[in-house]
Amino acid sequence: MKVSYYPGCSLEATGKPYDDSTRQVCRALEVQLEEIPGWICCGSSPALKMNQLLSVALGAFNLAAAEKRPQAEVVAPCPFCFRRLLSAQEEIGQDQKLKARVEQAIEKDLTGQLTVHNLLGFLHDAVGLPAIAAQVKRPLTGLKVLPYYGCYLVKPPRVTHYEDPDNPTALDDILRVLGAEVLDWDFKTECCGAGLSVSKTERVVELSGRLIREAAWRGADAVVVVCQLCQANLDMRQREIGRQDRRRYQLPILYFTQLMGLAFGLHPRTLGLHHHLVDPLALLHQKRLL
Amino acid sequence: MTRLGQAAAPRAFLQAVQERSGQNLEACLQCGKCSGSCPICTDKVGGPRRLVAAILYGLKEQALQDPTWWYCVSCGTCMTRCPVEINMYRVATALCELAEAAGVKPVESDIHLFEELFLKSVERFSRAREVQVVMNFNVRTWRPFKDLAQGLTLMRKGALSLAEMVPGGPGDQRAGRIFARVRQVSKEK
Repeated sequence: MKVSYYPGCSLEATGKPYDDSTRQVCRALEVQLEEIPGWICCGSSPALKMNQLLSVALGAFNLAAAEKRPQAEVVAPCPFCFRRLLSAQEEIGQDQKLKARVEQAIEKDLTGQLTVHNLLGFLHDAVGLPAIAAQVKRPLTGLKVLPYYGCYLVKPPRVTHYEDPDNPTALDDILRVLGAEVLDWDFKTECCGAGLSVSKTERVVELSGRLIREAAWRGADAVVVVCQLCQANLDMRQREIGRQDRRRYQLPILYFTQLMGLAFGLHPRTLGLHHHLVDPLALLHQKRLL
Repeated sequence: MTRLGQAAAPRAFLQAVQERSGQNLEACLQCGKCSGSCPICTDKVGGPRRLVAAILYGLKEQALQDPTWWYCVSCGTCMTRCPVEINMYRVATALCELAEAAGVKPVESDIHLFEELFLKSVERFSRAREVQVVMNFNVRTWRPFKDLAQGLTLMRKGALSLAEMVPGGPGDQRAGRIFARVRQVSKEK
Protein backbone atom coordinates (compact mmCIF):
# COMPACT_ATOMS: atom_id res chain seq x y z
CA MET A 1 0.00 0.00 0.00
CA LYS A 2 1.29 3.44 -0.95
CA VAL A 3 0.04 6.70 0.57
CA SER A 4 1.09 10.35 0.61
CA TYR A 5 2.73 11.42 3.84
CA TYR A 6 2.51 14.86 5.43
CA PRO A 7 4.91 14.91 8.40
CA GLY A 8 4.43 18.59 9.36
CA CYS A 9 6.99 20.93 10.93
CA SER A 10 7.01 19.55 14.47
CA LEU A 11 7.94 16.08 13.30
CA GLU A 12 11.13 17.50 11.87
CA ALA A 13 12.04 19.14 15.18
CA THR A 14 10.64 18.40 18.64
CA GLY A 15 8.52 15.53 17.36
CA LYS A 16 11.33 13.70 15.56
CA PRO A 17 10.81 10.43 17.48
CA TYR A 18 7.21 10.41 16.23
CA ASP A 19 8.40 10.75 12.63
CA ASP A 20 11.16 8.15 13.05
CA SER A 21 8.91 5.57 14.69
CA THR A 22 6.09 6.21 12.20
CA ARG A 23 8.38 5.52 9.26
CA GLN A 24 9.84 2.40 10.89
CA VAL A 25 6.46 0.96 11.80
CA CYS A 26 4.94 1.68 8.39
CA ARG A 27 7.88 -0.02 6.70
CA ALA A 28 7.32 -3.10 8.86
CA LEU A 29 3.63 -3.05 7.89
CA GLU A 30 4.55 -2.71 4.20
CA VAL A 31 2.98 0.73 3.95
CA GLN A 32 4.95 2.95 1.64
CA LEU A 33 4.93 6.54 2.86
CA GLU A 34 5.66 9.00 0.09
CA GLU A 35 6.41 12.42 1.56
CA ILE A 36 4.44 15.11 -0.29
CA PRO A 37 7.04 16.86 -2.45
CA GLY A 38 7.55 20.48 -1.43
CA TRP A 39 5.09 20.51 1.47
CA ILE A 40 4.89 23.64 3.60
CA CYS A 41 3.58 24.42 7.11
CA CYS A 42 -0.19 24.10 7.55
CA GLY A 43 -0.20 27.34 9.57
CA SER A 44 -1.14 25.43 12.72
CA SER A 45 -3.07 27.22 15.48
CA PRO A 46 -1.62 30.71 14.85
CA ALA A 47 -2.89 30.88 11.27
CA LEU A 48 -6.21 29.36 12.34
CA LYS A 49 -6.57 32.08 14.98
CA MET A 50 -5.40 35.04 12.91
CA ASN A 51 -6.80 34.61 9.42
CA GLN A 52 -9.24 32.13 7.97
CA LEU A 53 -8.21 32.58 4.35
CA LEU A 54 -4.51 32.16 5.19
CA SER A 55 -5.22 29.07 7.25
CA VAL A 56 -7.26 27.40 4.52
CA ALA A 57 -4.80 28.49 1.82
CA LEU A 58 -1.77 26.98 3.59
CA GLY A 59 -3.62 23.69 4.00
CA ALA A 60 -4.86 23.83 0.41
CA PHE A 61 -1.36 24.37 -0.97
CA ASN A 62 -0.38 21.00 0.48
CA LEU A 63 -3.57 19.34 -0.74
CA ALA A 64 -2.84 20.62 -4.25
CA ALA A 65 0.67 19.16 -4.04
CA ALA A 66 -0.74 15.83 -2.85
CA GLU A 67 -3.36 15.81 -5.62
CA LYS A 68 -0.55 15.67 -8.18
CA ARG A 69 0.53 12.25 -6.89
CA PRO A 70 -1.05 9.03 -8.15
CA GLN A 71 -2.25 7.95 -4.70
CA ALA A 72 -5.45 9.55 -3.39
CA GLU A 73 -4.77 9.07 0.31
CA VAL A 74 -2.84 11.37 2.64
CA VAL A 75 -1.67 10.38 6.10
CA ALA A 76 -0.71 12.96 8.75
CA PRO A 77 0.60 11.86 12.17
CA CYS A 78 0.14 15.32 13.74
CA PRO A 79 -3.51 15.70 14.77
CA PHE A 80 -3.48 19.44 14.15
CA CYS A 81 -2.07 19.11 10.63
CA PHE A 82 -4.64 16.36 10.05
CA ARG A 83 -7.53 18.55 11.17
CA ARG A 84 -6.26 21.53 9.15
CA LEU A 85 -5.86 19.52 5.93
CA LEU A 86 -9.25 17.88 6.39
CA SER A 87 -10.97 21.19 7.20
CA ALA A 88 -9.33 22.99 4.28
CA GLN A 89 -10.64 20.40 1.82
CA GLU A 90 -14.13 20.37 3.34
CA GLU A 91 -14.51 24.13 3.69
CA ILE A 92 -13.41 24.63 0.10
CA GLY A 93 -15.82 21.91 -1.03
CA GLN A 94 -18.75 23.63 0.67
CA ASP A 95 -18.03 27.20 -0.43
CA GLN A 96 -17.35 28.03 -4.08
CA LYS A 97 -16.45 31.62 -3.26
CA LEU A 98 -13.86 30.52 -0.71
CA LYS A 99 -12.51 27.99 -3.22
CA ALA A 100 -12.00 30.74 -5.82
CA ARG A 101 -10.19 32.98 -3.33
CA VAL A 102 -8.01 30.11 -2.07
CA GLU A 103 -7.06 29.05 -5.59
CA GLN A 104 -6.16 32.65 -6.31
CA ALA A 105 -4.02 32.76 -3.17
CA ILE A 106 -2.13 29.53 -3.85
CA GLU A 107 -2.10 29.88 -7.66
CA LYS A 108 -3.17 26.29 -8.03
CA ASP A 109 -6.43 24.48 -8.81
CA LEU A 110 -7.99 21.98 -6.45
CA THR A 111 -10.18 18.97 -7.09
CA GLY A 112 -10.88 18.21 -3.44
CA GLN A 113 -11.06 14.42 -3.79
CA LEU A 114 -8.36 13.30 -1.36
CA THR A 115 -8.92 11.03 1.60
CA VAL A 116 -7.19 12.65 4.56
CA HIS A 117 -6.26 10.21 7.34
CA ASN A 118 -4.76 10.74 10.72
CA LEU A 119 -2.09 8.15 11.43
CA LEU A 120 -4.00 6.43 14.24
CA GLY A 121 -7.18 6.04 12.19
CA PHE A 122 -5.19 4.91 9.17
CA LEU A 123 -3.33 2.18 11.05
CA HIS A 124 -6.44 1.07 12.93
CA ASP A 125 -8.88 1.04 10.00
CA ALA A 126 -7.00 0.92 6.69
CA VAL A 127 -4.09 -1.30 7.74
CA GLY A 128 -6.16 -3.08 10.37
CA LEU A 129 -5.65 -4.85 13.67
CA PRO A 130 -4.96 -8.30 12.17
CA ALA A 131 -2.07 -6.94 10.08
CA ILE A 132 -0.68 -5.20 13.17
CA ALA A 133 -1.09 -8.34 15.29
CA ALA A 134 0.78 -10.35 12.66
CA GLN A 135 3.88 -8.17 13.19
CA VAL A 136 3.96 -8.47 16.98
CA LYS A 137 7.11 -10.38 17.92
CA ARG A 138 7.69 -9.14 21.45
CA PRO A 139 4.35 -8.53 23.18
CA LEU A 140 4.32 -5.71 25.71
CA THR A 141 3.28 -8.03 28.51
CA GLY A 142 3.07 -6.43 31.92
CA LEU A 143 3.23 -2.83 30.66
CA LYS A 144 0.40 -0.77 32.14
CA VAL A 145 -0.48 2.06 29.79
CA LEU A 146 -3.00 4.88 29.66
CA PRO A 147 -4.17 5.81 26.17
CA TYR A 148 -4.37 9.59 25.70
CA TYR A 149 -6.02 10.91 22.53
CA GLY A 150 -5.99 14.64 23.24
CA CYS A 151 -8.28 17.01 21.38
CA TYR A 152 -7.51 17.58 17.73
CA LEU A 153 -7.79 14.01 16.56
CA VAL A 154 -11.33 13.58 17.86
CA LYS A 155 -12.89 16.98 18.52
CA PRO A 156 -15.11 18.48 17.30
CA PRO A 157 -16.64 15.36 15.69
CA ARG A 158 -18.47 17.45 13.07
CA VAL A 159 -15.01 18.39 11.78
CA THR A 160 -12.94 15.27 12.52
CA HIS A 161 -15.72 12.74 11.77
CA TYR A 162 -14.59 10.79 14.81
CA GLU A 163 -17.35 8.40 15.75
CA ASP A 164 -17.12 8.59 19.53
CA PRO A 165 -15.48 11.78 20.81
CA ASP A 166 -16.32 10.98 24.44
CA ASN A 167 -14.78 7.57 24.54
CA PRO A 168 -12.49 6.89 21.59
CA THR A 169 -11.08 3.35 21.51
CA ALA A 170 -8.82 3.01 18.43
CA LEU A 171 -5.66 3.54 20.46
CA ASP A 172 -6.89 1.18 23.20
CA ASP A 173 -7.45 -1.48 20.51
CA ILE A 174 -3.95 -1.15 19.06
CA LEU A 175 -2.27 -1.19 22.47
CA ARG A 176 -4.20 -4.33 23.41
CA VAL A 177 -3.10 -6.03 20.20
CA LEU A 178 0.48 -5.18 21.17
CA GLY A 179 -0.06 -7.10 24.40
CA ALA A 180 -0.03 -4.13 26.79
CA GLU A 181 -2.34 -3.84 29.77
CA VAL A 182 -4.63 -0.93 28.88
CA LEU A 183 -5.93 1.04 31.84
CA ASP A 184 -9.11 3.08 31.71
CA TRP A 185 -9.45 6.72 32.72
CA ASP A 186 -11.70 9.72 32.26
CA PHE A 187 -9.08 11.97 30.68
CA LYS A 188 -8.74 10.41 27.23
CA THR A 189 -9.67 13.62 25.43
CA GLU A 190 -9.06 16.28 28.09
CA CYS A 191 -6.93 19.21 26.93
CA CYS A 192 -3.21 19.34 27.85
CA GLY A 193 -3.00 23.10 27.27
CA ALA A 194 -1.89 22.67 23.66
CA GLY A 195 -0.47 25.75 21.94
CA LEU A 196 -0.35 27.79 25.14
CA SER A 197 2.80 25.85 26.11
CA VAL A 198 5.12 28.78 25.39
CA SER A 199 2.99 31.88 25.92
CA LYS A 200 0.94 30.74 28.95
CA THR A 201 3.07 28.00 30.45
CA GLU A 202 1.33 28.22 33.84
CA ARG A 203 -1.98 27.19 32.22
CA VAL A 204 -0.27 24.20 30.62
CA VAL A 205 1.26 23.19 33.95
CA GLU A 206 -2.24 23.31 35.42
CA LEU A 207 -3.99 21.42 32.60
CA SER A 208 -1.24 18.87 32.01
CA GLY A 209 -0.96 18.57 35.79
CA ARG A 210 -4.48 17.17 35.99
CA LEU A 211 -3.49 14.47 33.52
CA ILE A 212 -0.17 13.59 35.14
CA ARG A 213 -1.69 13.38 38.64
CA GLU A 214 -4.52 11.17 37.43
CA ALA A 215 -2.13 8.94 35.49
CA ALA A 216 0.15 8.57 38.52
CA TRP A 217 -2.82 7.80 40.75
CA ARG A 218 -4.03 5.11 38.33
CA GLY A 219 -0.63 3.43 38.62
CA ALA A 220 0.23 3.69 34.94
CA ASP A 221 3.75 2.82 33.76
CA ALA A 222 3.41 5.22 30.84
CA VAL A 223 0.98 7.50 29.03
CA VAL A 224 0.65 6.80 25.32
CA VAL A 225 0.03 9.71 22.96
CA VAL A 226 -0.79 10.33 19.31
CA CYS A 227 0.26 14.00 19.25
CA GLN A 228 3.70 15.61 19.54
CA LEU A 229 2.29 18.66 21.30
CA CYS A 230 0.64 16.49 23.97
CA GLN A 231 3.94 14.62 24.24
CA ALA A 232 5.95 17.82 24.69
CA ASN A 233 3.59 19.32 27.26
CA LEU A 234 3.24 16.18 29.36
CA ASP A 235 6.93 15.30 29.14
CA MET A 236 8.33 18.78 29.73
CA ARG A 237 6.11 19.98 32.57
CA GLN A 238 6.38 17.07 35.01
CA ARG A 239 9.09 18.82 36.97
CA GLU A 240 6.95 21.91 37.57
CA ILE A 241 3.90 19.81 38.34
CA GLY A 242 5.95 17.79 40.81
CA ARG A 243 7.26 20.93 42.44
CA GLN A 244 3.70 22.00 43.22
CA ASP A 245 2.94 18.60 44.74
CA ARG A 246 6.30 18.21 46.49
CA ARG A 247 6.96 14.97 44.76
CA ARG A 248 8.80 13.77 41.70
CA TYR A 249 6.87 12.50 38.70
CA GLN A 250 8.74 10.20 36.32
CA LEU A 251 6.04 9.12 33.93
CA PRO A 252 7.28 8.29 30.43
CA ILE A 253 5.15 9.83 27.67
CA LEU A 254 5.43 7.61 24.61
CA TYR A 255 4.15 7.73 21.06
CA PHE A 256 1.97 4.77 20.15
CA THR A 257 4.22 4.19 17.16
CA GLN A 258 7.21 3.75 19.49
CA LEU A 259 5.38 0.99 21.34
CA MET A 260 4.32 -0.58 18.06
CA GLY A 261 7.94 -0.59 16.95
CA LEU A 262 9.06 -2.10 20.23
CA ALA A 263 6.46 -4.87 19.98
CA PHE A 264 7.48 -5.45 16.35
CA GLY A 265 11.01 -6.12 17.60
CA LEU A 266 12.53 -3.01 15.99
CA HIS A 267 15.66 -1.51 17.49
CA PRO A 268 14.81 1.06 20.21
CA ARG A 269 17.42 3.49 18.85
CA THR A 270 15.54 3.76 15.58
CA LEU A 271 12.35 4.62 17.48
CA GLY A 272 13.76 7.66 19.28
CA LEU A 273 13.05 6.19 22.72
CA HIS A 274 16.20 7.83 24.10
CA HIS A 275 15.02 11.31 23.05
CA HIS A 276 12.44 12.02 25.75
CA LEU A 277 12.96 14.09 28.88
CA VAL A 278 11.47 11.43 31.13
CA ASP A 279 13.58 8.47 30.13
CA PRO A 280 11.53 5.34 29.40
CA LEU A 281 14.53 3.03 28.97
CA ALA A 282 14.90 2.05 32.64
CA LEU A 283 11.22 1.16 32.84
CA LEU A 284 11.38 -0.85 29.62
CA HIS A 285 14.45 -2.73 30.88
CA GLN A 286 12.74 -3.46 34.17
CA LYS A 287 9.71 -4.84 32.29
CA ARG A 288 12.10 -6.90 30.14
CA LEU A 289 10.88 -5.21 26.99
CA LEU A 290 14.33 -4.16 25.79
CA MET B 1 -35.94 39.09 22.90
CA THR B 2 -34.52 42.58 23.01
CA ARG B 3 -31.32 41.43 21.39
CA LEU B 4 -33.07 40.85 18.06
CA GLY B 5 -34.72 44.25 17.93
CA GLN B 6 -31.61 46.32 18.15
CA ALA B 7 -30.42 49.39 16.35
CA ALA B 8 -28.44 48.85 13.18
CA ALA B 9 -24.90 49.25 14.57
CA PRO B 10 -24.84 46.45 17.21
CA ARG B 11 -26.73 44.22 14.82
CA ALA B 12 -24.11 44.88 12.15
CA PHE B 13 -21.41 43.55 14.49
CA LEU B 14 -23.36 40.35 15.13
CA GLN B 15 -23.86 39.93 11.42
CA ALA B 16 -20.19 40.53 10.68
CA VAL B 17 -19.16 37.83 13.17
CA GLN B 18 -21.74 35.40 11.82
CA GLU B 19 -20.75 36.00 8.23
CA ARG B 20 -17.02 35.63 8.82
CA SER B 21 -17.30 32.61 11.10
CA GLY B 22 -20.12 30.87 9.24
CA GLN B 23 -21.71 30.19 12.64
CA ASN B 24 -25.32 30.88 13.53
CA LEU B 25 -24.86 32.54 16.91
CA GLU B 26 -28.54 33.46 17.06
CA ALA B 27 -29.26 29.78 17.63
CA CYS B 28 -27.26 29.92 20.89
CA LEU B 29 -29.36 28.78 23.87
CA GLN B 30 -26.95 30.25 26.44
CA CYS B 31 -26.99 26.84 28.14
CA GLY B 32 -23.35 27.21 29.19
CA LYS B 33 -22.21 23.69 28.33
CA CYS B 34 -19.40 25.35 26.37
CA SER B 35 -17.96 27.31 29.27
CA GLY B 36 -18.52 24.38 31.61
CA SER B 37 -16.25 22.20 29.49
CA CYS B 38 -13.82 24.86 28.28
CA PRO B 39 -10.22 24.16 29.43
CA ILE B 40 -9.17 27.83 29.39
CA CYS B 41 -12.20 29.27 31.16
CA THR B 42 -11.19 30.83 34.53
CA ASP B 43 -12.22 33.68 36.80
CA LYS B 44 -10.31 35.99 34.47
CA VAL B 45 -11.13 34.37 31.14
CA GLY B 46 -14.90 34.47 30.73
CA GLY B 47 -15.36 31.59 28.33
CA PRO B 48 -17.50 31.03 25.25
CA ARG B 49 -21.01 31.54 26.69
CA ARG B 50 -20.29 35.08 27.92
CA LEU B 51 -18.47 35.88 24.72
CA VAL B 52 -21.41 34.78 22.57
CA ALA B 53 -23.75 36.80 24.82
CA ALA B 54 -21.64 39.91 24.26
CA ILE B 55 -21.75 39.39 20.50
CA LEU B 56 -25.52 38.81 20.54
CA TYR B 57 -26.00 42.05 22.44
CA GLY B 58 -23.79 43.88 19.96
CA LEU B 59 -21.15 44.73 22.57
CA LYS B 60 -18.43 45.06 19.99
CA GLU B 61 -15.69 46.54 22.17
CA GLN B 62 -16.30 44.07 24.95
CA ALA B 63 -16.22 41.14 22.52
CA LEU B 64 -13.09 42.33 20.72
CA GLN B 65 -11.33 42.78 24.08
CA ASP B 66 -12.46 39.46 25.53
CA PRO B 67 -9.37 37.34 26.37
CA THR B 68 -11.37 34.15 25.70
CA TRP B 69 -10.72 34.06 21.98
CA TRP B 70 -7.03 34.78 22.46
CA TYR B 71 -6.76 31.89 24.92
CA CYS B 72 -8.85 29.57 22.73
CA VAL B 73 -6.68 26.58 21.71
CA SER B 74 -9.35 25.34 19.28
CA CYS B 75 -9.67 22.07 21.19
CA GLY B 76 -13.26 21.81 19.93
CA THR B 77 -14.70 20.63 23.25
CA CYS B 78 -17.36 23.36 23.31
CA MET B 79 -18.58 22.46 19.83
CA THR B 80 -18.60 18.80 20.81
CA ARG B 81 -20.96 19.61 23.68
CA CYS B 82 -22.96 22.43 22.04
CA PRO B 83 -26.59 21.42 21.33
CA VAL B 84 -26.62 23.68 18.25
CA GLU B 85 -23.03 22.86 17.24
CA ILE B 86 -21.51 26.33 17.18
CA ASN B 87 -17.86 26.14 16.18
CA MET B 88 -16.22 28.59 18.60
CA TYR B 89 -12.73 28.51 17.14
CA ARG B 90 -14.18 29.84 13.91
CA VAL B 91 -15.80 32.60 15.97
CA ALA B 92 -12.36 33.26 17.50
CA THR B 93 -10.85 33.69 14.03
CA ALA B 94 -13.66 36.08 13.04
CA LEU B 95 -13.09 38.18 16.17
CA CYS B 96 -9.32 38.22 15.63
CA GLU B 97 -9.82 39.46 12.06
CA LEU B 98 -12.39 42.08 13.14
CA ALA B 99 -10.18 43.26 16.02
CA GLU B 100 -7.27 43.71 13.66
CA ALA B 101 -9.45 45.61 11.16
CA ALA B 102 -10.76 47.86 13.96
CA GLY B 103 -7.26 48.51 15.26
CA VAL B 104 -8.02 47.02 18.69
CA LYS B 105 -4.80 46.34 20.60
CA PRO B 106 -4.43 42.63 21.51
CA VAL B 107 -5.43 42.21 25.16
CA GLU B 108 -3.28 39.10 25.50
CA SER B 109 0.05 40.41 24.28
CA ASP B 110 2.02 37.23 25.05
CA ILE B 111 -0.30 34.94 23.13
CA HIS B 112 -0.40 37.45 20.30
CA LEU B 113 3.39 37.75 20.22
CA PHE B 114 3.89 34.00 20.08
CA GLU B 115 1.40 33.61 17.24
CA GLU B 116 2.95 36.49 15.30
CA LEU B 117 6.46 35.06 15.68
CA PHE B 118 5.24 31.65 14.61
CA LEU B 119 3.63 33.04 11.46
CA LYS B 120 6.68 35.17 10.67
CA SER B 121 8.74 31.99 10.74
CA VAL B 122 6.31 30.29 8.37
CA GLU B 123 6.21 33.32 6.09
CA ARG B 124 9.98 33.40 5.83
CA PHE B 125 10.92 29.71 5.80
CA SER B 126 7.67 28.01 4.68
CA ARG B 127 8.09 25.89 7.80
CA ALA B 128 7.60 26.76 11.43
CA ARG B 129 11.07 26.59 12.94
CA GLU B 130 9.77 25.78 16.40
CA VAL B 131 12.93 26.03 18.43
CA GLN B 132 13.78 29.43 16.99
CA VAL B 133 10.24 30.70 17.55
CA VAL B 134 10.40 29.66 21.21
CA MET B 135 13.86 31.19 21.73
CA ASN B 136 12.79 34.38 20.00
CA PHE B 137 9.68 34.57 22.18
CA ASN B 138 11.65 34.04 25.39
CA VAL B 139 14.13 36.77 24.50
CA ARG B 140 11.41 39.27 23.60
CA THR B 141 9.52 38.61 26.82
CA TRP B 142 12.73 39.15 28.84
CA ARG B 143 12.99 35.53 29.97
CA PRO B 144 15.84 34.26 27.79
CA PHE B 145 16.62 31.33 30.10
CA LYS B 146 13.06 30.02 30.44
CA ASP B 147 13.02 26.25 29.87
CA LEU B 148 16.76 26.29 29.22
CA ALA B 149 17.33 23.23 31.43
CA GLN B 150 14.86 21.18 29.42
CA GLY B 151 16.35 22.44 26.16
CA LEU B 152 19.86 21.48 27.21
CA THR B 153 18.78 18.04 28.34
CA LEU B 154 17.08 17.46 24.99
CA MET B 155 20.24 18.60 23.23
CA ARG B 156 22.41 16.31 25.31
CA LYS B 157 20.12 13.43 24.37
CA GLY B 158 20.41 14.38 20.72
CA ALA B 159 16.72 15.22 20.46
CA LEU B 160 17.46 18.82 19.44
CA SER B 161 20.30 19.77 17.18
CA LEU B 162 22.30 22.96 17.38
CA ALA B 163 21.36 23.72 13.79
CA GLU B 164 17.75 24.22 14.82
CA MET B 165 18.78 27.03 17.15
CA VAL B 166 20.86 29.00 14.71
CA PRO B 167 18.75 31.88 13.48
CA GLY B 168 18.57 32.87 9.83
CA GLY B 169 19.44 30.43 7.09
CA PRO B 170 18.06 30.20 3.60
CA GLY B 171 14.49 31.41 3.22
CA ASP B 172 11.77 29.68 1.22
CA GLN B 173 9.46 31.97 -0.72
CA ARG B 174 6.49 29.70 -1.30
CA ALA B 175 4.58 30.37 1.92
CA GLY B 176 5.58 34.04 1.80
CA ARG B 177 3.97 34.27 -1.61
CA ILE B 178 0.73 32.85 -0.20
CA PHE B 179 0.85 35.36 2.68
CA ALA B 180 1.25 38.21 0.18
CA ARG B 181 -1.56 37.01 -2.03
CA VAL B 182 -3.87 36.47 0.95
CA ARG B 183 -3.27 40.10 1.95
CA GLN B 184 -4.06 41.15 -1.61
CA VAL B 185 -7.16 38.95 -2.00
CA SER B 186 -8.44 40.13 1.41
CA LYS B 187 -8.22 43.76 0.25
CA GLU B 188 -10.18 43.00 -2.91
CA LYS B 189 -13.09 41.55 -0.94
